[in-house]
Amino acid sequence: MEQPALGISDGIYAYKHLCEGGIDIHEIVVKKSSFRILLYYIGTICLLATVCRTLLSKEGLYLSSLWSISFAGIIAKCLRCDPVKKESLVIMPTFGVQLEQHFWSGRVRRKFVPIGKILKQVLNECVTPVTCYWSLALLLRDEYELMLVFMKLRPPAKMLVPIWNALCAFKNSDSTRRLADPHPKDSACSPESKLKT
Amino acid sequence: MVSDFFFPNFGGVESHIYYLSQCLLKLGHKVVVMTHAYGNRSGVRYVTNGLKVYYVPWRPFLMQNTLPTLFLTLPIVRTIIIREKISVVHGHQAFSTLCHEALMHARTMGYKVVFTDHSLYGFADAGSIHMNKVLQFTLADIDQAICVSHTSKENTVLRSGIAPEKVFMVPNAVDTAMFTPSPKRLSCDEIVIVVISRLVYRKGADLLVEVIPEVCRLFPKVRFIIGGDGPKRVRLEEMREKFSLQDRVEMLGAVPHAQVRSRLISGHIFLNSSLTEAFCIAILEAASCGLLTVSTRVGGVPEVLPDDMIVLAEPAPEDMVRAVKKAIDMIPGIDPQVMHLRMKKLYSWDDVAKRTEIVYDRAMQSSTTNLLDRLPRYLTCGSWAGKLFCIVMIINYLLWRLLEFLQPAEDIEVVPDIGPLHAQIQRDDLCEAQENQI
Repeated sequence: MEQPALGISDGIYAYKHLCEGGIDIHEIVVKKSSFRILLYYIGTICLLATVCRTLLSKEGLYLSSLWSISFAGIIAKCLRCDPVKKESLVIMPTFGVQLEQHFWSGRVRRKFVPIGKILKQVLNECVTPVTCYWSLALLLRDEYELMLVFMKLRPPAKMLVPIWNALCAFKNSDSTRRLADPHPKDSACSPESKLKT
Repeated sequence: MVSDFFFPNFGGVESHIYYLSQCLLKLGHKVVVMTHAYGNRSGVRYVTNGLKVYYVPWRPFLMQNTLPTLFLTLPIVRTIIIREKISVVHGHQAFSTLCHEALMHARTMGYKVVFTDHSLYGFADAGSIHMNKVLQFTLADIDQAICVSHTSKENTVLRSGIAPEKVFMVPNAVDTAMFTPSPKRLSCDEIVIVVISRLVYRKGADLLVEVIPEVCRLFPKVRFIIGGDGPKRVRLEEMREKFSLQDRVEMLGAVPHAQVRSRLISGHIFLNSSLTEAFCIAILEAASCGLLTVSTRVGGVPEVLPDDMIVLAEPAPEDMVRAVKKAIDMIPGIDPQVMHLRMKKLYSWDDVAKRTEIVYDRAMQSSTTNLLDRLPRYLTCGSWAGKLFCIVMIINYLLWRLLEFLQPAEDIEVVPDIGPLHAQIQRDDLCEAQENQI
């Protein structure tokens, strides 16, 4: 049964929480901003203008023209819009979680993490040379690196906390289920069943 | 606390910041340390008692210092100060570029700033002249400053031109719980002299090369243990070979700090041959372990220990040998346990923290001034330098305003305050006790 979406919003991102048929979906959507789209077009036009000016000028390619193309390229890259439209976390009780990236082009990238692989979900403080931000990550069994739930987007902590709570509830319910039934009978993946076959 | 020098790097400044932070946490304050990344150690780490450390991923470029960029550290410093709800920014060490930049940015944003100078510097050579100019810039608009000895205070005031009333003297201390004497008193049949320092020029390694052979010649029952590493180690090895002192001079190499105490308690005398020292925590550690100290009379060293715990000498080989002779004669009358107990009363990091708290209170009471009122303070730094510093501060102010427009302070999320770890543990114990009662 689909329940109505709950959400939090700030200037850049919007958080939506949906429940569909027992599956929990947490989405972080990038808000379309006409200002950022305008900046993107300005950056692209600057880069194209620099390249055309260099190619059409009679002087040819000099070091200064290469510098100006590189500089225009950096500005265009900084001003470009993120290709990611939204990232979502789909929690499937007793199975695992699916991390999805939806792009503006329509492409979707998905990654499934089985519940048994998840050791812990952590809210991490990340530090870059210019800023600090929060990220939600999964500690996985037998893996050295953390897996980020939202790989491209940097939603604020107020949006990550309910998702983290949902992951905690998901892990707790799995632990409770394992305590209640430590030896599930019909498990195709259990070592005993593999030995028998 | 901001400095380029923090753990895992080890030294006087690093341990000062660490111990002071721990004691301030015990007093109930919130302390956050900001330093640069060390290798893979980058990001947020929590050390003992929940002390939060930001290892900002700016790579060091020269002698553990971050590349001086003037304005590029403004975004990260601003973000950390806002998200941690900082009220006072405390910079350490004049040689730290990150410290100077953070203090400049904090001042621009209207926060109170305190600076601690840990070293003595000269006035004549090119490096010192430039360093002093940078220090003048930073201290022109500081709220309060701290020096670790009276000599250091005099040196800082002369170098920077800061008003002496703004400078407090708060000495370093020693962890007497960690540096305890040996339970068994050493025999005086053989006298062991311990040297633990970086083997570099300013620590007087060249003096040691002159002093050790002479002492070994005059006193057949004396043995040396030398711990530490550095460019001058080769000279000491050569001296050992030249005078055939392999059985009387033991070279340990670099000694991890955790093993310093075990090396110190194997000796009777601690020898310090530094050519310049603002304070010298090493002789405190040695005295806490019950060793009699022989040291050069330089900088702030005469202020550190009482006269019956230290024998001072001029930084010349003959005077050092005379001081070692005097120390050897004093050894039978030295009780390491009594010395340790005296050090416990004389120096403690809790006392340093309380005195530093007073400095913070004084800084918080100082008036808040806007940019136009602060700019004339930079003009006193020099006819050309003053104007340059004013331009730098104006640009910094404009960049700050731009950042405020692009990312307002309200959009920076404040980190939830969990408090120090010992308070957390106490709360958990209390909850458990209440649950048990129910």
